[in-house]
Amino acid sequence: MDGFFVALWILRLAFLAVLFVFLYGVARVLVRDLRRAEREQRSELGRLVVVASEGDSPRPGAVFPLDVVTTIGRAASNTVVVDDQFASSEHAMLTFRGRAWYLEDLGSTNGTHVQGERIEAPVAIGFGDEFTVGRARLRLERART
Amino acid sequence: MTAQAIPAYLRATLARSPRPRLRRDETGLLALVSAALLLGFVTLRTQEAMAAGHDELTLGDPTVPLVYLGAVWAVHLAFVLTARRSDQVLLPAVALLGGLGLLLATRLPRSLVLQRFGPVELGLGELQLLWLVIGLAVIAWLAITVRNDNWLRLYRYSWAGAGIALLLAVFLFGREVNGARLTLCVGPVCGQPSELLKVLLVVFLAGYLSENRGLLTTQRTRVGPLSLPPLPYLLPMLAMWAIALAVVIVQRDLGAALLLYSVFLAVLFAATARWSYVALGVLLFVVGSLVLYAVFPHVRTRIDIWLDPFADPLGAGYQTLRALYAFGRGGILGTGLGAGLPAAGGAPAIPAVHTDFAFTALAEETGYLGVAAIIGTYLVVLQRGLRIAARSADDFRALLAAGLTLTIGIQTAIIIGGNARLIPLTGITAPYLSYGGSSILASALAIGLLLAFSEREARR
Repeated sequence: MDGFFVALWILRLAFLAVLFVFLYGVARVLVRDLRRAEREQRSELGRLVVVASEGDSPRPGAVFPLDVVTTIGRAASNTVVVDDQFASSEHAMLTFRGRAWYLEDLGSTNGTHVQGERIEAPVAIGFGDEFTVGRARLRLERART
Repeated sequence: MTAQAIPAYLRATLARSPRPRLRRDETGLLALVSAALLLGFVTLRTQEAMAAGHDELTLGDPTVPLVYLGAVWAVHLAFVLTARRSDQVLLPAVALLGGLGLLLATRLPRSLVLQRFGPVELGLGELQLLWLVIGLAVIAWLAITVRNDNWLRLYRYSWAGAGIALLLAVFLFGREVNGARLTLCVGPVCGQPSELLKVLLVVFLAGYLSENRGLLTTQRTRVGPLSLPPLPYLLPMLAMWAIALAVVIVQRDLGAALLLYSVFLAVLFAATARWSYVALGVLLFVVGSLVLYAVFPHVRTRIDIWLDPFADPLGAGYQTLRALYAFGRGGILGTGLGAGLPAAGGAPAIPAVHTDFAFTALAEETGYLGVAAIIGTYLVVLQRGLRIAARSADDFRALLAAGLTLTIGIQTAIIIGGNARLIPLTGITAPYLSYGGSSILASALAIGLLLAFSEREARR
């Protein structure tokens, strides 16, 4: 009789204890995860992914890490070189100001398009937005963390 | 078996499928969840046997825990075989919460919910088990098959339209239960569309706000000291406010309205990081609440019960008082599973204990420690979801992940706060703990999508 009650009592405590062992296990995974993220150096502010392009430079699927200022165009002096007949030598510029990314057309012949519309002044764009330079489609993505 | 013995089509499938990939963290955590749930079931069944006069440690009929744990491990195995690299903490956390809900549902009298499907009659415990298994299947299906989210993004207005249509359908054809009109029945299956509505609205908001994000930094309207959001933000804000009000007035569903509106404000803040918009939203909320309090008696009753449940202890305040007593009986260690009073003498001591007061019943039987573990597990789900949101490559996925996570978090906060009389009680479910098919399915949709997104980020 008494042995049974002690057993039941231990069972109840064991149930509660395992719940907390589970939380401890989760906490260990979380801490390890955060440490790993901390070790990975973050130098890029964002990344530019080539969705589609004619020709070999850049190849579709290529990824460019972005700095505060990134220039895009056909000339070799650009950060991201788009080797396309329809791109101007200095075509567009991506800048990171404060909390948002801005895309600016640098007076290109065929224009820079966001969501199908040619941009006239610098526009704010968000992560996941796509734009075209010449025949290349580019997408802005958040940096890996 | 030799290589020739395997049929050609099977060999081709095997060659195409990726090599299995171990998920050690998930395996270890699921082992702990299984141990906890089995211990819980042994405690419960032993307690029940003791009440029947047999002093023996027993698991009783092992079908219910084995079917549930079998389903959980099957999902894990599917993830391993398809070489998933997605988050490894979400599934164990959800499995634990669902398992605790299942413990409660098996422990309460099965006659609380009875449904007939032809010759088979299912009670509370069996139905909850059925819904949990369906929920796990939904999670596995979404986490493994969703590669691309364009179908969510492109049809955002269609999703919003579907949500509004659901709402209208409830207004017109809804069935009234306990004075609230929120159940819609198609044939023998009844559901609460507001559960699905909140997921649809989060999808729409994520699409809408990520599309119009550019406007945020370029436009601003100033009215006195408040900097107002540009019109494209103001309009949906007013629309959401109107929808929430309509839900309160027509459906008399305070919980859903509060949830929809808070989730909207949270997603808006996540998209814009501007306190002024939240301040404006809270102002609208206060104005709306005051008007509702003045005009509608059912809103006033809720507030009055919250302020003083002892004013009418056997009438309006009965449910809340019973819940408070249950918290008190629980103490630090709880009465033990099966030993509490949620169903003394065959009738539940707290009305609606299996839906609105699931948290309270668990608080009574597992005590302060059990409740602390439950809240800790909810916080873990929140942390994982928000982390997936922060790592997302684009704004739409980030907002969607944050929105789905915050829906679960805010819903939990509203119902736990209501149970403990920290805020007025509004009848909504505790995600995964409470009985309810719609609620489990909606939460499963959210978790499945979160897992699919974390898979994408891991492969980037």
